[in-house]
Amino acid sequence: MAASGVAAPTRTEVLQLYRSLLRVARQFCDYNIREYSKRRTIAAFRDNKNLTDPSQLSAAFSDGNAQLEVAKRQALVYSLYAPKVKSIMDIKPS
Amino acid sequence: MAFRAAVLRHIRLPVQTLKPTASRAPSQWSLLRLFSSHDDHLTKEEVIDRVLDVVKSFPKVDPSKVTPDVHFQKDLGLDSLDNVEIVMALEEEFKLEIPDKEADKIDSCNLAIEYIYNHPMAG
Repeated sequence: MAASGVAAPTRTEVLQLYRSLLRVARQFCDYNIREYSKRRTIAAFRDNKNLTDPSQLSAAFSDGNAQLEVAKRQALVYSLYAPKVKSIMDIKPS
Repeated sequence: MAFRAAVLRHIRLPVQTLKPTASRAPSQWSLLRLFSSHDDHLTKEEVIDRVLDVVKSFPKVDPSKVTPDVHFQKDLGLDSLDNVEIVMALEEEFKLEIPDKEADKIDSCNLAIEYIYNHPMAG
């Protein structure tokens, strides 16, 4: 149903997407969502590590890009309403 | 036009008179070295220790195999995704932002230590 013209992402592009997702995850001010984003990207990329079918690869890649956009917006929105009290996990032991 | 020239002459004059004092000033300021971070730049041993700690605390890594010249994918059996994660962990440890092109090249402890040691902003 979709056009077959979309080329599969290259290895570099996949690693760039991975790195961008992890970077955006770091920007969250809330501990929980930050850890979740990291866990979720690591899990998702590992699950799809062994895909070889080009259409599956490009579907997963575009899905990843969509999630990256969502995460960027949400990082901004979260920062607008950042809690005044930091999560206990963020407080380094002095 | 003449008025403008006269005004400009007045405005430009102070700049010229400052020159003789400016030649004295650098010698005083060079002793002070404001904003110089040369003294608190990390030592090589510190960089090596911290890099090895970061690599050893990576869950998939066997700490006993970690040496300063170990290769992430060849010696530690990691894959490229783990490589990205380790470089991210190093970025967090040393409070750096490593651009993608440089980060792709870092695939052994050696290269990581070299890059971080030579980075002026490593903290």
